[in-house]
Amino acid sequence: MSRRRPVEPEAQVTVGEMQPEAGTGTPPQVLDGPFSTRQLLRIDEALRLADQGTGLVFSVYVGGLDEPIREHAERLHRQLAEPDKSVLLAVSPNQRRLEIITGKYARKRIPDTYAKLAALSMVAAFGGGDLAGGIINGLDQLASHAGKG
Amino acid sequence: MSVTETSLIFVGIPAAIMLVIVGLVFAGNRGSGGPAKRYRPGRRFDFTPVWFLGRPEQLADSAGTALAAGAQAPALTSRKQEQAGVEAPAGGTGGASDRW
Repeated sequence: MSRRRPVEPEAQVTVGEMQPEAGTGTPPQVLDGPFSTRQLLRIDEALRLADQGTGLVFSVYVGGLDEPIREHAERLHRQLAEPDKSVLLAVSPNQRRLEIITGKYARKRIPDTYAKLAALSMVAAFGGGDLAGGIINGLDQLASHAGKG
Repeated sequence: MSVTETSLIFVGIPAAIMLVIVGLVFAGNRGSGGPAKRYRPGRRFDFTPVWFLGRPEQLADSAGTALAAGAQAPALTSRKQEQAGVEAPAGGTGGASDRW
């Protein structure tokens, strides 16, 4: 059994919950990412808990960011449905950069100092090679700072 | 007990148990994704970019699924791209940056 072949079931659950009608023909590429299926499920769980607990919209991007990095990350953030309520964690492993972007409203719930704190702990995990752990911890910290919405 | 019985009990059973354990170890390794699929600091990161959303419909484009692992800038419809160009860059975004 070759495990690198993109298999559908787990992948779809991870990228966004339940999209049974997603049969657009292209196999999900998440499985080519740096995460194992188990890590993908944990990230998904963390995202869901963060979203439900706070009422904000969290999302995580892992991949290359163009220079200038901050601007690119903000552009990604603007593509979300409700940028004001959204929090984007953009991780660029090649450039070794982490950007946390909070929308106008989200910023009131998560002040920049708290975002910086979360960034510090995430970066510590990334430096040890633990992408998934850092992301999950960061989400958890941000969500608990934001409190209930 | 005959010699064969004795050897079966004292050699055969331990050998069988060892085989089972070795089999379990290898099966476990195979299941957990293997060593290749890992980010290691300092080495090139050449995985497909991924973008996770709690609910896929939260992308402005309602493309939802496309976001799974878009290329660099995930497929934006032209409409949305125009909007992004025209709209003043969302002021008031905050957050933090860090590097490792």
